[in-house]
Amino acid sequence: MSMKFRCERDTLVEALSAAGRAVTTRGGALPVLAGVRMELVGDRLTVTGSDLDLTITVEVEVAGGEDGVAVLPSKLISDVARSLRPGAVDIAIEDEDARIVSTPSEFSIRVIPVDEFPELSSADGDAVTLDASAFRAAIDQVEKAASSDDARPILTGVLMAAEEDGLRLVSTDSYRLSVRDLAGTTILGEGQKVLVPSRALKELSRVVGDADEITLRLGERDAGFQVGPVKVTTRLIEGEFPNYRGLIPSNHPNALTVDRETLLDAVRRVRLLAQESTPVRLAMSSEGLELVAVTQDVGQAHEAVEASYNGDDLTVAFNPEYLIDGIEVAPGDEIILETVDELKPALLKSSDDPDFLYLLMPVRVS
Amino acid sequence: MAQCTVDYDGRLQAHLPSAVRLVMVKADGCVAIHADGGAYKPLNWMNAPNRLTMDDEAGVWTVTSPKGEVLTITFEEVLSDVAHEMGIDPGLQKDGVEAHLQQLLADDPTSIQDGLKLVRREYPTDIGPVDLLCRDAEGLAVAVEVKRRGEIDGVEQLTRYLEFLNRDPLLRPVRGVFVAQEIKPQAKVLAADRDIYWVEVDYDELRGIESPNLKLF
Repeated sequence: MSMKFRCERDTLVEALSAAGRAVTTRGGALPVLAGVRMELVGDRLTVTGSDLDLTITVEVEVAGGEDGVAVLPSKLISDVARSLRPGAVDIAIEDEDARIVSTPSEFSIRVIPVDEFPELSSADGDAVTLDASAFRAAIDQVEKAASSDDARPILTGVLMAAEEDGLRLVSTDSYRLSVRDLAGTTILGEGQKVLVPSRALKELSRVVGDADEITLRLGERDAGFQVGPVKVTTRLIEGEFPNYRGLIPSNHPNALTVDRETLLDAVRRVRLLAQESTPVRLAMSSEGLELVAVTQDVGQAHEAVEASYNGDDLTVAFNPEYLIDGIEVAPGDEIILETVDELKPALLKSSDDPDFLYLLMPVRVS
Repeated sequence: MAQCTVDYDGRLQAHLPSAVRLVMVKADGCVAIHADGGAYKPLNWMNAPNRLTMDDEAGVWTVTSPKGEVLTITFEEVLSDVAHEMGIDPGLQKDGVEAHLQQLLADDPTSIQDGLKLVRREYPTDIGPVDLLCRDAEGLAVAVEVKRRGEIDGVEQLTRYLEFLNRDPLLRPVRGVFVAQEIKPQAKVLAADRDIYWVEVDYDELRGIESPNLKLF
């Protein structure tokens, strides 16, 4: 086994960091997955990390010396590359060792047998392109509401569904639900829907940067997103996403309209006294809004927030983290919080963007 | 109970002047000298294995460890000298919540993971019983360790059980599930690193008590 190339330290660090984000942290059944696969063809170096569910591949331009393939321990090679002085790095794989030289440093690292690296699946559907910044914004608006509980795998995904006038992204952890419509984005066939792991979308959002386009390929079991030199491939989640449409109450008699930043700052302040899983209460009346948090034996916080309110006087309590998540991702300067009563789901939306909504269950208080 | 002085000679030298103290010699050979305070902690002690020489005529006990440490207890007046055979200790009882949590999960293992079926509670291994042994939807064995608070030592404990259970050709491969009401972030990382699945469960929900955290579905 041999391979040789030279590249800039920063190029190497960026490629290893991006691919390394898919590398498994577990020893597990396939220790080779703790490594990154590096393949050199001419002047193209392809770096791949995978945990079998998520695969990230990065292609970079290097000064190729000798074509070849090698698997190196991801964390170690990343740490080594990052520690080098800026400038050129020479990497030469010979037999069982990788020599990394960047004057005055020289490292020799034992490689992982290449034939143990599994054949990775790829999405082979037709390529469609997406506006990168709009898709990234949509991901950021829904991924927080997806569950992180692996016991309910379906809820760890973001539903991507074809709607009449575009694409819809939906996520829920059963306590809240995020819906984002991307009008005019038609990447799925009529009626088609897929469930994409939120972790993969989060990684995609991270690599998008200021790219203009994302190319998506949908296979039967995988989705592949290409952003410039980076490809994020993920297994799709199998199963039926909850019927979320029926969860959104059609009639909310009460509506609170408030400046988004003002409310966000106020909830962040008051939350400091909402400890030990206690909620933040929103007391809404014609006077406006008052936020209250009380933690027994610790203290309490109150804050009046300027807001306009139409409806019956009502106090509703929410998990402060979930409330903040919703306010943070709502688009626009002004938001509307629609409520029915203190036990029914509340709807948080933007005053000027009908394509986003965040449904949030209250917390029952005595 | 005795009026005594104690001298320790080992990694350092220490002297306890004459006073009334409780001197305990346990069946495993460890010796501890307690004052009437300081909670559970002795003033001085020597862990087993030890050699205890009792010179009753001179009123001197000499405790010697394999490392050459010497604890010398010089008795001036013995106030009370009793010996009791205490038998085998049944071990620390789990607190009520933990035991109840285990019972509730045994009654409905699907609350841990879909498709789990209970094989046996307190499934024996050479190093103690694992809380629940189950089979998953594919028929594979699953060892479940239940804690009220999930910390690193719980993950370590389950790792040891898995090592023993996986030696049994009739059971292996056995995977582990770590269940607690709340699991510390470090314990989650360690569990994930060892391919142990972890689940946080809601005790109130398992008991049928409605959680204040309302759900959409």
